[in-house]
Amino acid sequence: MTVEVMVGNKAAATAAKLSRVQVAVAFPVTPQTTIVEYLNEFITKGEMNCEFINVEGELTAQVVVQAASRVGARTFCCTSGPGCLYMHHPMHDTSSLRLPVVMAVVHRGNKGMQPDHTDLMSHIMTGWIQWYAENNQEVLDSIIMAYRVAEDMRVRIPIAVGYDGYILSYTAEPVDVPDQEEVDDFLPPYKPMPSLMPEDFDPKSPMWWRVPWEEHHKVIVNAKEVIKEVNEEFSKRFGRSYGNGLVEEYRCEDAEAVIVAMGTIASTARDAVDNLRAEGKPVGLVKLKCLVPFPYEDFQRIGSEVRAIGMIDRNVCLGVGGVGHVFIRNAIYDLEERPKVLGFHAGLAGKEVKVSDIERMAEKVLKAARGESVSPLVEWV
Amino acid sequence: MEKLTIKDIPLEEYTITPGSACQGCGPALAARLVFKALGNKVIRHGVPSCPDSVTATPRTFSVFESAGAALTGVSRALKILGRDDVMAVGFIGDGGTYDIGFQALSAAAERNENILWFCKNNEAYMNTGIQRSSATPLYAWTTTTQVGPRGRGKETPRKNAPFIIAAHHVPYVATASIAFPTDLIGKTLHAKKLKGFRYIDILCPCPTGWRFDPSRTIEVARLAVQTGMWALYEIIDGREFRLTYKPKKLKPVEEYLRVQGRFRHLTDREIEEIQRMVEENWERLLKLDEMGEFPL
Amino acid sequence: MIEIRFHGRGGQGAVTASRLIAEAVAKEGKYAQAIPMYGTERRGAPVTAYVRIDDRPVRRRDLVHEPDIVIVIDPILSKKPSVAAGIKSGGLLLLNYPKPPEEVEIGGDFIVSTVDATTIALETLGRPITNTAVLGAFSKVTGIAKLESLEEAILKRFPGEIGKRNVEALRRAYKEVHPPKPAKGPLRPGEEEPPHVTGYGVLKSVADWRVFRPVVDMEKCVSCRLCWVYCPETAISLVDEKPVIDYDKCKGCGICVHECPVKAIEFVREAV
Repeated sequence: MTVEVMVGNKAAATAAKLSRVQVAVAFPVTPQTTIVEYLNEFITKGEMNCEFINVEGELTAQVVVQAASRVGARTFCCTSGPGCLYMHHPMHDTSSLRLPVVMAVVHRGNKGMQPDHTDLMSHIMTGWIQWYAENNQEVLDSIIMAYRVAEDMRVRIPIAVGYDGYILSYTAEPVDVPDQEEVDDFLPPYKPMPSLMPEDFDPKSPMWWRVPWEEHHKVIVNAKEVIKEVNEEFSKRFGRSYGNGLVEEYRCEDAEAVIVAMGTIASTARDAVDNLRAEGKPVGLVKLKCLVPFPYEDFQRIGSEVRAIGMIDRNVCLGVGGVGHVFIRNAIYDLEERPKVLGFHAGLAGKEVKVSDIERMAEKVLKAARGESVSPLVEWV
Repeated sequence: MEKLTIKDIPLEEYTITPGSACQGCGPALAARLVFKALGNKVIRHGVPSCPDSVTATPRTFSVFESAGAALTGVSRALKILGRDDVMAVGFIGDGGTYDIGFQALSAAAERNENILWFCKNNEAYMNTGIQRSSATPLYAWTTTTQVGPRGRGKETPRKNAPFIIAAHHVPYVATASIAFPTDLIGKTLHAKKLKGFRYIDILCPCPTGWRFDPSRTIEVARLAVQTGMWALYEIIDGREFRLTYKPKKLKPVEEYLRVQGRFRHLTDREIEEIQRMVEENWERLLKLDEMGEFPL
Repeated sequence: MIEIRFHGRGGQGAVTASRLIAEAVAKEGKYAQAIPMYGTERRGAPVTAYVRIDDRPVRRRDLVHEPDIVIVIDPILSKKPSVAAGIKSGGLLLLNYPKPPEEVEIGGDFIVSTVDATTIALETLGRPITNTAVLGAFSKVTGIAKLESLEEAILKRFPGEIGKRNVEALRRAYKEVHPPKPAKGPLRPGEEEPPHVTGYGVLKSVADWRVFRPVVDMEKCVSCRLCWVYCPETAISLVDEKPVIDYDKCKGCGICVHECPVKAIEFVREAV
């Protein structure tokens, strides 16, 4: 293992290299473009044995990796914002066909070039597992773990690893880069199921079929167990873990209120929580890493332990509300004693989220936890 | 192309029949003939289209606009997995080739992906109920180019996709017709031996969409070529051009048009217009053939 | 509510028939829903359509599983027992069939009526499009839609000469339909699904797609192989250089008949 100071996009490219990706596609869209430039550099330098295809658009990019994965290659693609939207059509099939494609989504919100989570969240119904990373180390680690989870026979579902554009993609920080041997040991080779080779052809086998809805849904729900297992194993081998793989609780012991955040807002929130704790305020942070499948059980447990939850959504489902907010309220509804659940929309269109902003949000949630009336229940920060 | 006789046509069948295509389906026959030549060491790709014929080959499918993308993925995966004995083959309709699939097709051709692309061309979006495509010929009736006081069928001549693909300088581009089976199979056998992007555009009449009795499918496919409405040629590397069928005299286009209900409304003036267009085009092709050169 | 199921083949007008009934009863102040069954609507392939008729608006949108009336407009489908699948006890099976009800082989707890709609259609329209003829029989046997209402609906949909001829077919069938008798035939629908082609892919047999079948005269055959080359369904195989037809794979398209250079293949009407 070596430590290198690197930007988030290089961490993503490095993870793809370490995962011995065999087919990668490239198309520029800010702010993910340098990922494919790093990959091209690795390949042309001879550091990576991979078919690299400069496609003409992101929809093609998704179908190239979908088809290559079906034939039996380990694949990687990456995109942002409008590129992610453009490939929405075939994304459904990548999941429906149970293909273990891993994709990095460098967040760029749907209304401009600056980061928010509306790009990847627009795909919430496509059947992709969605993880949100808070720093460059997590970007690298998550992509490697993603191959392990996605290719597990109990899963075989594509995974998108999202991370905030600019804030992580172009920011350099130290990253522990595992050795190739260590990653090889962690990632067994990929086998397509069923085989598509002519010698294995069976006229009775359907060979291409979209898994029916109920089975599809349950496979993704049940993937939570595999995610937890893989996170634990990764932690044992590489010494780093991300909560239980779905959520991480930071200073939530004896918390009366928690804020929930995703991506880099969670990273900033750690400082905010430390500050409040130093003032004796019993607040904690729940970092939500895995949005799909949604960790209902974790939120039910957390919800039974605290008096108020405040979800910081770097997104909005227009006309409905914050995605995390809606999901958490769903999670805690059946509890004997429900906590209050507040919502915040913060950081959309790249709006800066400061430590002080999060402190203020957390204090509001704490007020709610203590029975004080707060308003509004959903706030645009 | 390889030169064959009827007796040279391989006996082995690679289609699993009977299928769910219409009586007299042109593309169903095209699939049968093409895969006789290709065999089954292929991964066959399709996008939404009429059923034509199921083949005894591994299959992939992808969304309508993405055949060029999927074939790229199949071909590159085969390459990195060391399977150069297996071919990536697309059997794609004119919609997935000329229109919604055109971008991905052009890009795959430009990258010279190692792919065999067959267009089963029935000159309209048939599976969804006979709507026009850019492959639909001038004045043809379709449900979206109907005939009435304000419409005379398709407003523009069809797109010349084979020439456009040839302008990408790919190793092989050809046209074919199911009524000329030795020509189609000979071209397929030749394309099979090459590497890189190869494209064969096969005219496959559709009795349901072109409105003629199913027994006349081959007759219509033959007349298309004999009247010059669909010329048979090969373009090598985007540089060499040769006609593979050169009748001494073209039959009048009226013989072809009058068989089909989709042209039933044509006036004599419109038929003359088409006749002139065909003759001018044929003169151009004869010149190219004489020079042996594709001028792009 | 009355529920009706139609069986026909692509191109014969089963779907149009369902629409005409719906339009006709609408004129009589009733409500109707006409539902085509979307499968692979290939020319020649079996097609199903449904009609619901009621005195108040029909709201249910599921399919008809237990029809009161089954109408079969194709004479070859009329021989398949599965057309009667699900028919209600005491219901009506109305067949386009050139024999009287006593000679119908399909039987069960329903009544059966027949009309030779194909002959009527060939004689009035010149083509075997049997839907309007069958509707005339339907009106006479059930009284659900009046003849005048059906005529009006037909003339609205088919202008000019075509409309007149269809009305003629309608009226002739009204006169010539055999009154219904209990269905005493030995064949039962059993567990089979009613005939319908759905989706894409390989089928077991397409024999009932045919109206005509090709028959090879081996003496005339010169072993040129063209019929074998041009068959889209591989229904023809070569045995000792002669074509042998697999009639489960033959859709009766007629290409082989048309292409044979020595006219060695005859196109023969399928026996009904």
